[in-house]
Amino acid sequence: MSKLFFDHLVELKEIDKQIKKVAKTSDEREELWGMVDEMIHHKVMGCILDKLPRENHNEFLEIFHKSPHDQELIISYLKSRISDNVEELIRQEIGNFSDDLLKEITTS
Amino acid sequence: MTHDPAYEIDFLRNKLKLKSLEVKKNFSEKYPHVNKFFEDRGISLSKIREHSAKVITAGALSGALLFAPPVMTVNFPSPMEIVKNLSTPSPSQIPANQMLLSSIQNFLPTQIGPLTRSQEKNLEKIFNDVIGVNSKATLEGEHLNTTYGYIGAEQHLIRYPGDTVGAHELTPNDEGIAPGLGAWGYFAPSKSDLTTADVENEKWYAVVQTLYLPDWNSRVRFLRDWYKYRKVLIVNTMNGNAVVADIADSAPAAFTGKQFGVSPAVMNYLGGSRYKKGPVVLFFVDDPQNQVPLGPVDYNNINNVKTIL
Repeated sequence: MSKLFFDHLVELKEIDKQIKKVAKTSDEREELWGMVDEMIHHKVMGCILDKLPRENHNEFLEIFHKSPHDQELIISYLKSRISDNVEELIRQEIGNFSDDLLKEITTS
Repeated sequence: MTHDPAYEIDFLRNKLKLKSLEVKKNFSEKYPHVNKFFEDRGISLSKIREHSAKVITAGALSGALLFAPPVMTVNFPSPMEIVKNLSTPSPSQIPANQMLLSSIQNFLPTQIGPLTRSQEKNLEKIFNDVIGVNSKATLEGEHLNTTYGYIGAEQHLIRYPGDTVGAHELTPNDEGIAPGLGAWGYFAPSKSDLTTADVENEKWYAVVQTLYLPDWNSRVRFLRDWYKYRKVLIVNTMNGNAVVADIADSAPAAFTGKQFGVSPAVMNYLGGSRYKKGPVVLFFVDDPQNQVPLGPVDYNNINNVKTIL
């Protein structure tokens, strides 16, 4: 099973449309999807680590490493250490990233 | 971008590669301790989805999910009781699919995501007895990453070289035709080779995320054949509508917020012409004799409910 605790906060429809427009095979599509997915992992983690006190980083990483899929566990933890609106913070981060990426890939 | 497809794919690939390098470089400069944390454990943040797949699979195999008592059923009627209630004429004249719908809700978690084995077993029982389709979350040892997730509208697939959207049976608010081929290529080598079965396979197709299966790369030869046109039962958990579809592509991407996709015809039946995304349960159809037809499942007739009790 392949689920990450932040999957429900991520929706990059326009990026997906651009990929589907140019990819002619499923292998091409999956290669490009993989690159976007990697960037999302880094952006979400960066957003969290920016706001999480440094002394909590290892604690969070341990939880994430053991249960990367556990939305309830990790979001509850982050709410207790960062803020109740941590999900909105992640949504905003990914929304901004999506806008930037879309600009980059649609301009030469 | 130009309209040269080869140029466009290279352009997009290069743009994404450069951006990816930049994002990863910035991250590792800012959080070297995080990269070290993952390196020490032999994993990479880039491949964290694979790690997640292994963690969940290990959890299921260790028995935490497999043999846990069905806690949710403690306060809810059993699938047998639900079917019995459906078989009894209701004085309030509630439609069968509405009654089924409320029964399904008893076994679904509040958050959309992977189900436990016991939840899946309960739903299998209800689907089999009420809808009349023998469906399994795990069939011949194969199981999808999730059987409860969001479904979205896909475009028509190209069936043969030269196929156009105008040659397909269109639905209201149709999404058009995908520019690229599905994961299994053309349905037929040419228009003249296109059979009725090919037409039905495209009309009632579904996509599932085989690309994220934990063992996809190591078993790709077997799995590619196993999943090709594999029949699935899709039940809309908001209105009870059900369709038997066949798997004809590997998608959607994880970052779309959806776990499944379907053709315009399936989407239209599941939720109407304006339906673009919603929660569904998706199980494999156990149909070794190939007797279950593709398309909508009409189980609203109360007589269809098996009197097995």
